[in-house]
Amino acid sequence: MKTIVIGVIGADCHAVGNKIIDYVLREHGYNVVNVGVLSSQEDFINAAIESNASMILVSSLYGQGELDCRGMREKCVEAGIGDIKLYVGGNIVVGKQNFDEVKERFIKMGFDRVFAPNTPIEADLPFIKEDLGE
Amino acid sequence: MELRNKKWTEEEFFKVRKEVLSTWPTGNDPELDLDKAVAYLKSIPASKNFALKLKDAKEHRVRTLVQPRAGVALLNEHIALLQHLEKAGADFLPSTIDAYTRQNRYSEGEEGIKRSEEAGRSLLNGFPAVNHGVKGCRKVVESINVPLQARHGTPDSRLLAEIIHAGGWTSNEGGGISYNLPYAKAVSIEDSIKYWQYCDRLVGYYEEHGVTINREPFGPLTGTLVPPSIAIAVGIIEALLAAEQGVKNITVGYGMCGNIVQDVAAVRSLQQLTEEYLEEKGYKGCCVTTVFHQWMGGFPADEAEALGLISMSSVVASLAGATKMINKTPHESVGIPTKEANADGIKASKIITKLLEDQTFPESQKLADEIAQIKKEVKCLMDCVYNVGEGDLAVGTVKAFEQGLLDIPFAPSKYNAGLILPARDAEGCVRILEFGKLGFNDEIKAFHRAKIAERAKQDGREVGFQLCIDDIYAVSTGHLIGRTSYKD
Ligand code: B12
Repeated sequence: MKTIVIGVIGADCHAVGNKIIDYVLREHGYNVVNVGVLSSQEDFINAAIESNASMILVSSLYGQGELDCRGMREKCVEAGIGDIKLYVGGNIVVGKQNFDEVKERFIKMGFDRVFAPNTPIEADLPFIKEDLGE
Repeated sequence: MELRNKKWTEEEFFKVRKEVLSTWPTGNDPELDLDKAVAYLKSIPASKNFALKLKDAKEHRVRTLVQPRAGVALLNEHIALLQHLEKAGADFLPSTIDAYTRQNRYSEGEEGIKRSEEAGRSLLNGFPAVNHGVKGCRKVVESINVPLQARHGTPDSRLLAEIIHAGGWTSNEGGGISYNLPYAKAVSIEDSIKYWQYCDRLVGYYEEHGVTINREPFGPLTGTLVPPSIAIAVGIIEALLAAEQGVKNITVGYGMCGNIVQDVAAVRSLQQLTEEYLEEKGYKGCCVTTVFHQWMGGFPADEAEALGLISMSSVVASLAGATKMINKTPHESVGIPTKEANADGIKASKIITKLLEDQTFPESQKLADEIAQIKKEVKCLMDCVYNVGEGDLAVGTVKAFEQGLLDIPFAPSKYNAGLILPARDAEGCVRILEFGKLGFNDEIKAFHRAKIAERAKQDGREVGFQLCIDDIYAVSTGHLIGRTSYKD
């Protein structure tokens, strides 16, 4: 059973999507480690190391994701899990911006996949499967 | 200090105040001297006093008044934003506070200001009022012509409250429950009630010195299928806690659920019950008004559909007779709105409140039944709270949440039991599917069970978490109820 770490980064308290992601991933046979809302990069990375996870799904809903996600890939490298799959999704920047540009910014930060607002987790499952080689 | 629902003495207040003001350099501003702050607040014209405008709206009701949410990182941009919204017709203005400030992370707020200057766009999701300090806050007030309120989600809002009120903002949103459980994961309710007793005591101090300031508990909580009676019980508790500290002008809130009869019943019950409890507990002379929040859950992404939902929300608020309404915008599902999108939300809302200014929702048996149901449930919850608190409301609140007698759906806090699950009935009213330890009696539980069973039977499906998930997604996909049978 593959392990996925999920949570909501920064000073963000949006909990509803996080609870649904937790439920849906479990229903689809994944082992889920949920660090919950208001989590730091370290919280995600420590959980990934402890659980030997294959993937980290970062949620950011409140807009300040662009500040909170900076340097996360570098931190993974430092912690010895540089190859882990890193996803980010939710409402990851402030305001309604051109999503191609937003995506570009987060890919540059080292995220493997970047999801637009209004893509429910159910629609993201095929990507997760593919990237985990299932 | 031991937690009790008891008015803080001035001595207790000033002792804590010294610590509060020392938590960030802007707390050192000499204008935070309360004599100076009182003098400044007295210089603000009545037309810009939040409490007075609400009192007037209640006494000479014309229509439901409209207020947007809005806030950006930089001072001049924030002022330009508010001026734009005033021109669009906002009856009240907000300053929505950024999320670092809400967690008291002022140094990250500072960094956010710097990066926003560099990027030429706001990287913060609100206005960092503590960083901008009293002077910045006064500049905002002096640049607009309607009353101004801080809207946030801050468990410990003591320094923020000091700065905004000395800055001339005459309303503060929040409360020890409503700004903790939906917004934090590890702040105890005991602590957050104390923090908000402080904020209320500050307002009480101003009242004693001739300045009236409005306080507004945050009614919608998690904005996600919150059953009316739970939201109303929390609002009443926060109103009572505030009144004990000397607050006189209180606006209790409610987030739209979507069934029109249930929503109208909820607003009426909220107004009546809050006034009744205040009266019964001996708080005389409080002015109670209501605020209706347009749909607070996930919005449709299509902008025209979003405006449709905004318009429907405005109809309900108007017919329910809410004093004030907080509007959403066509950008809701995607991101913080531009000032133009926000103005569109205000205009779409305001025209409806004007068109409906002479109409109210007609009395009917159905409405009367729903009001009776809500009141029964609220009373049951309030009795539980006083019971476990052995008569003390503050202690009772802490214990009621500890024991799950009060429980807020989807709240992230570990101090919330998180055992209840809501879902819609066959007509879209929000009911309860799993009660956890919620303090309802058997009769009330049987009512909810029957309502949800009826819905599940219609849908030909089982009662369970998936039903609740489908209801959470439903409105954003264009239906109130998350049925499996829709074709579009
Ligand atoms: C409900 C809600 C709230 C509730 C949250 C209660 C709680 N504790 O959970 C309350 C009212 C408390 C709230 C508060 C705030 N909110 Co709010 N909120 C919403 C709202 C209306 C719905 C969110 C929701 O629950 N959706 C339902 C769930 C199921 O969907 P979801 O969260 O999108 O998650 C799904 C997908 O996105 C996806 N997904 C999520 N993460 C990830 C990650 C990966 C890797 C993948 C693959 C998929 C994925 O899967 C999830 C399940 O399907 C949205 C707007 C909207 N969507 O209509 C605003 C919104 C998210 N909030 C917003 C803001 C700004 C705030 C505040 C900061 C206040 C403010 N300044 O206005 C505060 C938060 C303070 C803080 N410290 O965080 C903004 C963010 C703006 C931006 N990004 O530019 C939004 C977009 C509204 C807006 N347009 O202004 N909010």
